[in-house]
Amino acid sequence: MRQAFNKFLSSGTLFVWLCGAAVAMSLLMVGGILLLIMVNGLGFFWPHTISEMTLKDGTRLLGEIQGQEVIPNSMTPESPEGKTRIRMKIGNRDLYGLDFQWVDEEDIVARSTPQDVVVFERREWGNFYGRIQQVTQGDMVMASDNNQAWKILPPLIEQVNQLHEDIDVIQRVEIGDINHDMEQARLKIQALHIKGISQSPEIVEREATIQRLEIQYQQQVETLRQLDARLADYTLTLVDTNGREKSLPLGQIVEALRPNDMGVGAKCLTYLHNFWTVLSDEPREANTEGGIFPAIFGTVMMVFIMSIAVVPFGVLAAFYLKEYARQGAVVRIVRIAVNNLAGVPSIVFGVFGLGFFVYAVGGTVDQLFYPEALPNPTFGTGGILWASLTLALMTVPVVIVATEESLSAVPREYREGSIALGATKFESMWRVILPCAMPGILTGLILAVARATGEVAPLMLTGVVKLAPALPLDFHFPFVHLDRKFMHLGFHIYDVGFQSPNVEAAKPMVYVTTLILVMVVIMLNMTAIALRNRMKKKFKGAAV
Amino acid sequence: MNSSIPHTVSTVTEIPPTPLSLSRRSSRQLRRIMDHAATVVITVGGLTTILSILGIFAYLFIEVAPLFFEASGSKVASFDIRPIEEATTLSGNIGVGLDEYMEVAYVLQANGVSLYRLPSGDPLVLDSMPTFEPGQISAMGRSSGKSHIYGLGTREGRMIPLSINFRMAFNNDERTIHPTVTAGDPLAVTPQPERIDLIAYQETENGQIVAALTGAGHLYLAKIQEAEGLLSMDDESELLHSEIKDVRVSMITTLVLDVMGESLLAGTQDGHLLHWDLRNFEEPRLMGSYPVGNAITALSYLIGDRSIVVGTSAGNVEVWMPTIDPNIGGDPKLEKIREFPSHNSAITVISPSQRDKGFITADTSGKFALHYSTSGKTLLEIEGTGSPIQGVMFSPKADGAVFLNQDRQLLAYHIDNQHPEATFSSLFGAVLYEGYQEVLHIWQSTGGSDSFEPKFGLWPLMFGTLKGTFYAMLLATPLAVFGAVYTAMFMSPNLRSVVKPTVEMMAAFPTVVLGFLAGLWFAPLLEKIFPAVSAIFVVVPVAIVVASLCWHFWPSKVQKKSGHVLELFALLLLIGGSVWICLQLNTEIEGWIYGSDYKAWLSSTFGVGYDQRNALVIAFAMGIAVIPTIFSISEDSISNVPRHLISGSLALGATPWQTLTKLVIVSASPGIFSALMIGLGRVVGETMIVLMATGNTPLMDLNLFNGFRTLSANIAVEMPEAPHGGTLYRLLFMSGLILFVFTSIVNTIAEIVRQRLRARYSQF
Repeated sequence: MRQAFNKFLSSGTLFVWLCGAAVAMSLLMVGGILLLIMVNGLGFFWPHTISEMTLKDGTRLLGEIQGQEVIPNSMTPESPEGKTRIRMKIGNRDLYGLDFQWVDEEDIVARSTPQDVVVFERREWGNFYGRIQQVTQGDMVMASDNNQAWKILPPLIEQVNQLHEDIDVIQRVEIGDINHDMEQARLKIQALHIKGISQSPEIVEREATIQRLEIQYQQQVETLRQLDARLADYTLTLVDTNGREKSLPLGQIVEALRPNDMGVGAKCLTYLHNFWTVLSDEPREANTEGGIFPAIFGTVMMVFIMSIAVVPFGVLAAFYLKEYARQGAVVRIVRIAVNNLAGVPSIVFGVFGLGFFVYAVGGTVDQLFYPEALPNPTFGTGGILWASLTLALMTVPVVIVATEESLSAVPREYREGSIALGATKFESMWRVILPCAMPGILTGLILAVARATGEVAPLMLTGVVKLAPALPLDFHFPFVHLDRKFMHLGFHIYDVGFQSPNVEAAKPMVYVTTLILVMVVIMLNMTAIALRNRMKKKFKGAAV
Repeated sequence: MNSSIPHTVSTVTEIPPTPLSLSRRSSRQLRRIMDHAATVVITVGGLTTILSILGIFAYLFIEVAPLFFEASGSKVASFDIRPIEEATTLSGNIGVGLDEYMEVAYVLQANGVSLYRLPSGDPLVLDSMPTFEPGQISAMGRSSGKSHIYGLGTREGRMIPLSINFRMAFNNDERTIHPTVTAGDPLAVTPQPERIDLIAYQETENGQIVAALTGAGHLYLAKIQEAEGLLSMDDESELLHSEIKDVRVSMITTLVLDVMGESLLAGTQDGHLLHWDLRNFEEPRLMGSYPVGNAITALSYLIGDRSIVVGTSAGNVEVWMPTIDPNIGGDPKLEKIREFPSHNSAITVISPSQRDKGFITADTSGKFALHYSTSGKTLLEIEGTGSPIQGVMFSPKADGAVFLNQDRQLLAYHIDNQHPEATFSSLFGAVLYEGYQEVLHIWQSTGGSDSFEPKFGLWPLMFGTLKGTFYAMLLATPLAVFGAVYTAMFMSPNLRSVVKPTVEMMAAFPTVVLGFLAGLWFAPLLEKIFPAVSAIFVVVPVAIVVASLCWHFWPSKVQKKSGHVLELFALLLLIGGSVWICLQLNTEIEGWIYGSDYKAWLSSTFGVGYDQRNALVIAFAMGIAVIPTIFSISEDSISNVPRHLISGSLALGATPWQTLTKLVIVSASPGIFSALMIGLGRVVGETMIVLMATGNTPLMDLNLFNGFRTLSANIAVEMPEAPHGGTLYRLLFMSGLILFVFTSIVNTIAEIVRQRLRARYSQF
């Protein structure tokens, strides 16, 4: 027996199995995390069934069942299983104070999924679960029971949403334009003052412009007031499952659904609609509801600016190191240094970006070019340009290494052939080697983009904000506003998940953002891997 | 063939010059220029990029360096003040001061205040200025705090409050300072008219308090307390009197009150520090008398009223602090905690800084020194002219000081002392902070007010960084390295081409995602299923051992047929299954091992508490972040072991197991080492995971079940609040520099090892 055991040990089977277990565990972790994100992220869009529970004491609860667990320390000798409780999302934050409630299963007397229950997505206070008592227009009652109201509601909600859109256009576009022009005029005057001119026809003209704009502004505000008033044209009186009433203007409603009355097809449509809303809408309620469009936009734009900065410099450096510099100890050391830089923690780049780009460079730019706006900083504070440049600096080693690798992969014969045919060094570089190395450079860029997309720490110091008032791209000259602060998917996760007052209610939003971010990053990485593999195949034949 | 080439060449040369060839020549020139230009552009561009990358280090260093600059002082003004009549000199210290921009200085003498412009020394005359009769004022005491308020003691036993204000006015962006001097109503301190020789005065939040030592040797206290209650409309205030009777009263040389007016300190001729508690104003209580050694000549509280600076006739400068013996408890006792280099001549004045724990001491030789209490360092010493200094004020911004010496000379210094808090020993050594009983490493960078003593001990942060790194590597190393061995050695190429990218995909998870999952999903979950998780660490390995035994004694036919694919699936099922079982049995396991409450068990068995966001959560999250890196590089180095070596080993009769342990692991070990180094570098600087999934409390505790704060997370937390150019700002840069240097060293080692390994492999 002992001999057999010794043989077992010396055969190494045990060790092989342990090694295999390590791989299996790693695989389980990847799979588990992906699954977790997918289930939570994708489940968010699905219109869940609404359950109504009647409890022992006669009260009723209405909401989505979100989980079930064994009550800790509830095990008794009689029932070793213990008691279970259900976690329900009951919404109606304005009435109950909390969105979630635990219900002990033994307290539940009856359960049902009534067809007529309506879920209201509201602009404030989160969802409302209940029924409609009546719909009034002024003093006129338009519908006085749940089903009747449900029939007239859809067009009214559409109308209200249209109103919100109009208001949004006025606030963002019209008033935004006026504010922008006013600010410009004010800065021009300030600039003249700085030059020492206090009286000039230009100043008079600008002041007149400001006054004119002021009048326009008042008009727009008046229009807004009227539109706002129209939002309250209809009043909706809702009741929760226990009969508590809640009146609110129809303008508060974003969407009304009867999930228990929907077929699978309708649910799928709603699913897609919800998905699109998240992708395209502005955030609401301290980012915990609504959409994440500005975060997506900010991420894309930041990565785009970063790419513009990182590619030429990374490629130039790689060409220099590989093709022009004399290969020796110095280049080897530089190469190690560049490699090292890829391993330097991202937060260090953030610190550097803050100190160098924001304070040193940005502060100087402000003094030279934007003295009229001081002491309000223009570039002397975090912004999308500085964030992009910081990330460019962080990812430039990735591009350099990838480009160098792809340059090494270009067979020597190509170079020699090109030179032999009479091309200058630059020509053979431009016409022969660069095209060959292109997939490698692209791989490097994609890897850089993938790394930059998921990076948050340096951005926190260089210009990302939880809620940016305006996108860094709009219709005002110069159209691209590199000085503006921006939103970012990764920071959105951190902010909504950890800084919002109601983390529990915000979780679905975080999962959705996570899902989108992870998908983007994984897709980028896969593209890079595919490109690299293609390149390897392409040169495999040529090198021989 | 051979003949045709010269032929073509000749045909080319024979073509007569045409515009075409001209353009060809110019195009050749253009090409040469282009080539040259490209060389220049690429060289310059490449070098700039590389230099700017390397410039990061230089920049970080430049930002950090000022922390360790020595303090320096430069004289900005020196002039004789107006000649004064003999009757106006005072025996004790003289009030001097200056505004926060160091533009106006004042000297408070017995006949009133005189003001001077700095640095010219031109006298400044005000329209209205309180004046006093010659000989009326017999003592003065400065109320500590930001404003310039003095209590003047008269020969009739009264106290006149006097305040000097500096109002700022802007005219065309030019700043002018407008001083005003106002005297308040006199307050009777002594019951009978008696000359006040020594006075301590303090304006408190709701009144004034005076301690006065009279020529007759009485120590009187007086206090005005404004009536409390919001409803009282008229200025009802209450005047209280009391007297301290003590034999040592006659020997008192210096008196100091704290800002709250709750305690009185006195230094005596025979070298004792006396401490009275004034909270019960009617009956002041002597808290203690502490021998100092030499006669006390100067005394001052530091900002915050905890530390007391004592200056003696021998020139000693000491800091005393109230401490409570934790074993005995009771009233706090004063204790000497720091001693600064002696001046060697009697200390005359001590002036504390209004913004930090720094203070200036001046002596009878005219020398002055700048000290910092927290670090215990003397930052600056300037030798004097020989004339004793009678009045000092550290400027409100702690960037200068004004002195008056016995020769009636007013000296103003600019002091450049940006970062007194940061010295090498206070950053990395244990420090006795105010309010603590022992030397400690503490990081606590901000407090509510200026009187807060910032605690810049970097050790807790470095400790946190190492703690997180240690636990994460502990989890990641075996998983990643063993996984790499298995993938490289025992997997079929097809399976490998699926498994390797899958594991590497873990690297694609942004760390903010891992941090979120760790903090909001895993941490609360782990709190619930901790018993199950602890069981998993035992059950899974045991299950694997059992399974491998079964496998070993399985008919070898089946083994051969199935190969390693089956093995992997079996393992996936095995591990998944045992994890699932453990989770199902969570409550039972808790009952079996931990006696139904694991938290109570932990605290009773190991004396440790359980925080929800703890090092175990971090170990998992950072482990996942770093596994792909280690895995990928180790796998590469193992699978790059030259194939013919392995074949040779197997051909010589070694079993695969022997080949693996004796050959493959040995030759790939440098690669595995560098993989671990690179992984280490990544974990050390990881920010988002630790930021989100630890409590970010800077503790020094190896406990697996509580949180910590790392250098990187600390930067993310505090940088947005750190004022540009301040000590905290530079210290955070220093944290960045530490991370930079550490990761650079680790990565360089890894890189060199890897290059060596590559060179060795290429020999075969």
